Amino acid sequence: MSELKWGDRELAYDSSAFVRGSGHYVDDIKLPGMIHMSVLRSPYARARILSLKGGMSSKDLGARMASVGEGASPEAGLSIEPVFATGFVNYVGEPVAAVFADDRYKSTDLLESIEVDYEPLEPVVTIDDALKLGPIHSGRKDNIMVETSKGTDFQDPESPIVIEDTLENDRISANPIEPRGIVTSYTDGMLNVWISTQAVHSVKEGLVESLGISPESVRVMQTDTGGGFGSKGGLYPEYVMASYASMKFGKPVKWIETRREHLASTNPGRGVRGKVKIFAERNGRINGLKGEVTIDAGAYDSGIASFSPGFVAMQMTGPYSIEKAFVVARALFTNKVPQGPYRGAGRPEASFFIERMMDMLADELAMDPADLRLLNMSDKPFVSPMGLKIDAARPFFEGAVRELEYRRESKMSRGVGLSFFVLVPAVYPGESARIIVKDGKVSVWLGGNSHGQGHEIFVKKLINEELQVPEELVTLYRGDTGMTKTGVGTWGSRSAIVAGAAIVAVCKKIKQEVEKEFGSYSVRSLLSSGYDEFINNELKMPLNSFGANLATVEIEKMGRVRVKKCAAYYDVGRALNRDMVIGQIQGGMAQGIGQTLHEGLFYNKEGQLITSSISDAGVPLAEDLPNFIVNIVENRSFLPHGAKGLGEAPTVGVPTALTRAIESVSGKRLRRTPVTPEELMK
Amino acid sequence: MHPSSFEYFAPTKMEEALELLSKYGEDAKIMSGGQSLIPLLKLRIASFPYVIDISGVQGLNRITENKEFLEIGALTTISSIADSELIKKRYQILHEAAGQIADPLIRNRGTIGGNISHGDPSNDIPAVAIALKANLEVIGKEGKRIVEAHSFVTDSFTNVLKVGEILNKIRIPVAPDNSGGCYIKQKKSAGDFSVAAIAVQLSLHDNDSVKSAGIGLTSVAPKPTRAMKAERFLEGKKINDSVVREAAKIVVSESDPSTDFYGSSEFKRKVLGKIAEEAINLSFERATVR
Repeated sequence: MSELKWGDRELAYDSSAFVRGSGHYVDDIKLPGMIHMSVLRSPYARARILSLKGGMSSKDLGARMASVGEGASPEAGLSIEPVFATGFVNYVGEPVAAVFADDRYKSTDLLESIEVDYEPLEPVVTIDDALKLGPIHSGRKDNIMVETSKGTDFQDPESPIVIEDTLENDRISANPIEPRGIVTSYTDGMLNVWISTQAVHSVKEGLVESLGISPESVRVMQTDTGGGFGSKGGLYPEYVMASYASMKFGKPVKWIETRREHLASTNPGRGVRGKVKIFAERNGRINGLKGEVTIDAGAYDSGIASFSPGFVAMQMTGPYSIEKAFVVARALFTNKVPQGPYRGAGRPEASFFIERMMDMLADELAMDPADLRLLNMSDKPFVSPMGLKIDAARPFFEGAVRELEYRRESKMSRGVGLSFFVLVPAVYPGESARIIVKDGKVSVWLGGNSHGQGHEIFVKKLINEELQVPEELVTLYRGDTGMTKTGVGTWGSRSAIVAGAAIVAVCKKIKQEVEKEFGSYSVRSLLSSGYDEFINNELKMPLNSFGANLATVEIEKMGRVRVKKCAAYYDVGRALNRDMVIGQIQGGMAQGIGQTLHEGLFYNKEGQLITSSISDAGVPLAEDLPNFIVNIVENRSFLPHGAKGLGEAPTVGVPTALTRAIESVSGKRLRRTPVTPEELMK
Repeated sequence: MHPSSFEYFAPTKMEEALELLSKYGEDAKIMSGGQSLIPLLKLRIASFPYVIDISGVQGLNRITENKEFLEIGALTTISSIADSELIKKRYQILHEAAGQIADPLIRNRGTIGGNISHGDPSNDIPAVAIALKANLEVIGKEGKRIVEAHSFVTDSFTNVLKVGEILNKIRIPVAPDNSGGCYIKQKKSAGDFSVAAIAVQLSLHDNDSVKSAGIGLTSVAPKPTRAMKAERFLEGKKINDSVVREAAKIVVSESDPSTDFYGSSEFKRKVLGKIAEEAINLSFERATVR
């Protein structure tokens, strides 16, 4: 492999490079004098560290504790993951020490030279353990990390029908093709960081906080990123170690995660339980909903734990016009790797809870599940008691039932599942964009960067629309904090909305500049001059959209499920590029099938991870996937470019539709994902 | 995914391999296809100062048949076995098992000798070797000896080979007329190990009663298991539904599956019971096709 001179070479982002095999990933970086880091990790779910000799460890970092670096109260301080375990380890895979050598074989060898004495302690492994056993962190009175509620409590109505159940999504690993990785280099007082990430600014802010250095002395640059699915959104302990080491040793440092490390130590998603009670009339009309949401948050707050419980709770009435609702939600400490966002990040969980309950209520009343849903929808916009804003649901769902041919499908076979959801993209607080026009070319940076979505395709299209610049003259560069003062990141179905809006806004600014200079706008004038405009385009209004899925299945021998059909009907707003939209939906549907049938992280009673290879963790294979049917609805949003959110829609809609299809055909009540052959054979 | 350092040898003659093996003793590990060993080395679950790669040793990748035996050299790849017309025609059970091992890339490199010697209770060939009552020829500096297939693997990842010995050939007795067998493997997904798998080989008398039965089990005990009680139960009996059900029950009683992410031990017993019935019925059907 040729030596790359990073810093000199262009950091242009071009999705077609991945197809041509010419992507430049973080592990492709080779800098003179670079050393490799390997991390010694806890073999215990919970233990006291009696002694530790060798390697870089917490004592080298002094008082620096924070990993995520959110301004912490003394109590919250206990819940933030330390860079290196300090006195105790709290999950299998927690970093204890790091070693460095000039190649990866030697650094791996060096791990064996570290001596650690542990005194194993009784671990808290499950949600039930967390509620029953004493706190994992001394100084706290229990294992409740956060507790909140949404809606207003109400007296149980005297409804003739009351159903109650407990539903759960097991934890799953993000498992992008490329695991995490970082290269750090400290020269002349400047910390340069190259990283596989969804958000260069999050990484930068975290490093600034954790290392206690000034924002001006850190530059974080994104390399090509082979997927993230939420797991590469923020800061991790290894990033702080590698940065600190490059400052201490004066040498570039590289760390590349192994798949085993990914499964053990990268924040997985899901791991949420919902207890839901529904009050209804005999005709199917729902009077009220009460619920409890419990998140298996792991040993520390990964950064979303304080937000997640309320976010799941807020969506628990789904797209239905339920007038009374109250949900208590909490995140619990367990001796497992901190839970984090995974494609959907709270949305699929909430949808699983309400959609499973809708199907159960339909069964209870012997109603058709689509009819029951229709009965509980509004023709007008609706704001739920928990503050969820939705448009008129009924017309959309009627369209979905028609286009997905639900009535025909459900006449033809028993194994049909239908789901309906409202997608809540992470619009807040908007996104930044910068455009430089120089030498007849247009260069673009976004605050949130592509990790496989293909941002450059809509960037070129929108700039062409706004400024009439031919697409071949536009280049999107990878995320770089050196080129954008602020920025957010790519997650939560947000980029087409917020990055798209930022591009439109910065184009308008440039157009005004051109008009000021030349009297009127023309693309020739634009390209003949020079401009450099940055905008931090705030967006705070929710921009929710509807989606529906239909799945049909067969159950083969020994409880093996064969997905026959997986169809989507999504409102994506204006589709900025149809092929990209279809690709997003197909990929997401594969992941939805994965969650439903194959994927799970399983721990034994001692808190040891049993699923320690990618095969064991159960990613779906080609033979598991059906033909996908994609119906795109284009109801423009209020934004100038008309986009709505999309990325997470399939992981919200598919697990619920698929679980229902399996339930219908097996006759077994299904309450959790993954749905295993064992459960179907019971 | 970076193994600790080791010295690598690639002998081309068996004598050289045995010489190296006796020189380095327990510090040496034999590698043939490397499909199990290399992952273990990369994950540092195992490390050996000396790796002796015998894949270049000549003459050990042949499939031949004489009056008494089908003889398969230990270095014969799984895909050669799956593709062999001879095996497909006359040893269907072995053909079926070979075609279901992992994926084509692994089958192209993995060998029958490695599949047996590794001692993984989830490897498929040992159960087939047990059902076919194969003899395994072991070679050492002192000469050759024969080990019966069912006693070769002694525990998880442990076998009867003494320091300095290598598995040389697999000898499968030529099946008499009126014989049939099958390998049924229940797995979670393509390319995966099994939840449970069973190899059954039946030979029948002229009156269709069972003359001899061979039953080997995969993934349902700490080692590949011979279901000897079920074999004895079947011998002399005529196959009917109640006999098959009873035999399957006995098979399950001879298993000892553990609970893991493939499912609980109870689930694996249930799966084993179902595939045992299926396998006995199918073997009988094949044995009666004349």
